[in-house]
Amino acid sequence: MGYVLDSLRSMGVTMRNLFRAPTTVEFPKVKRPRSDRYRASFALLHDEHGEELCIGCLACERICPSAIITVVQAPKRESAVTGKKRGWCADLTLDLNACIYCELCVQVCPTDAIIMVRTPEQPAFEREGLFLSMAKLYENEKLLEPSWGTGTKLLEMQDPKRGAEEAPKKPAPAAVQPTPADASGSTSEGSA
Amino acid sequence: MSFLLHGLLYGAVVGSVLLTVTAWAVWFERKFSARMQSRLGPTIVGPVGLLQPIADALKLMQKETIFPDNADRFLFRAAPPFMVVFSLATAAVVPFGPDMIAADLDIGVLYILALAGLMLFPVWIGGWASNNKFALLAAMRGIAQGVSYELPLVLSALVPVVLAGSMSLSVIVSFQAEHGWFIVWPPGPGLIAFGIFFVASLAETNRIPFDIPEAESELVAGVTTEYTGMKFGFFYLAEYLHTLVSAAVAAALFFGGWHGPWVSGLHWFVLKTLVLFVSIFWIRWTLVRFRADQLMRLCWKWLVPISLVVLMAAAVAVQLGEGR
Repeated sequence: MGYVLDSLRSMGVTMRNLFRAPTTVEFPKVKRPRSDRYRASFALLHDEHGEELCIGCLACERICPSAIITVVQAPKRESAVTGKKRGWCADLTLDLNACIYCELCVQVCPTDAIIMVRTPEQPAFEREGLFLSMAKLYENEKLLEPSWGTGTKLLEMQDPKRGAEEAPKKPAPAAVQPTPADASGSTSEGSA
Repeated sequence: MSFLLHGLLYGAVVGSVLLTVTAWAVWFERKFSARMQSRLGPTIVGPVGLLQPIADALKLMQKETIFPDNADRFLFRAAPPFMVVFSLATAAVVPFGPDMIAADLDIGVLYILALAGLMLFPVWIGGWASNNKFALLAAMRGIAQGVSYELPLVLSALVPVVLAGSMSLSVIVSFQAEHGWFIVWPPGPGLIAFGIFFVASLAETNRIPFDIPEAESELVAGVTTEYTGMKFGFFYLAEYLHTLVSAAVAAALFFGGWHGPWVSGLHWFVLKTLVLFVSIFWIRWTLVRFRADQLMRLCWKWLVPISLVVLMAAAVAVQLGEGR
């Protein structure tokens, strides 16, 4: 008897559901907005002076769980913008075939050189189509829409204090200047 | 000669109408179940997906027929057409209207029940000939279930027979037209017998919650596991046809067939059949599958004894009615 009553009740549920509007979004016709942090592919960035940001530090290659990033370092030489010596990257390839989209490479990048892009739907007909050469990665910078995350932003999000400490580091001595001991300390530090 | 012509014409009309209704019943079930699950169902082929059955049939016809290794090819070929033939043949004795019946057999109810029993043979033939353990297991389950549920089916179908005093479906319907539908009058036996008949015919047609012979989660696709293309299509078609005809028979046996308020006729029969048909879908998309032992317990411990008692009650009611 309990079974019969439960069955009748569940049939009531299905009948009620029959008159509800379906929740389906017909995908190719209707596209739902994707979130700012949607991640689809990768891009390598230039700075505002048009210089490559990647310093070839191998951080992304080392952290990649599926070991799909290969970085070839170039010898250090002066930057055309700052004139300081810095590392360079001769070649960086990323094989999307095995990418798990974990974004760890973006998180560890010290110069925000590698980011993910949020332009969806880039299927390929052969495996080569999913292999991102360095040229393709720099092309993506121009063609595709960047995702929200960069190395700095993601680090700040994970550890807000880190950003807060770094910012007032220089005015910090000024803030504690009233005590002479601290002031002398800071001056000695500055002189050293 | 005129008898042959009559049979041929009615057969052609009833057959094509039933096949068409079945094709769109598949479309309807897909829409119906989709809406129950907050989905849309078929939308692409034709307006609101109405041409989907045609597309499906074309697809099935184009597909290659694959014979499994070491399968019994003759029996493998023979099973699907028999399924369709048996389920279509049942429709021959169903009275669609006051004078609309392909063959007004005196033993119509017996004929229907015999065909329902025969439906088990193609299932077993197909399962055996497939040379596949899942198909064979499914066929064995199908036979066990079919043989068990035939008993309550027969006993509950006998209630209207006893009440009307005839095995002819047209006589049963016209008796109901005079004395009231069996589902309401005499109160009791008709209603309970209908419940048992409905449950047993659900089990006969292997619909959820009695789809143990198909049991996708256990037996791949049951008997049809090794069938491809139109051979699979025949099994699929036969399942829906059998369901539709079961609904029609239930409408004739218990709901007064073509008899209805205001104007009696074909429309009432169609309406009653479709309501029963839709409620079978409704049950299918709501309930979950019984276990094999629950299935047998329900049949032997509940349905069979109750239907015996109901049959007895019907006989007593008839005796008392005559004594008056």
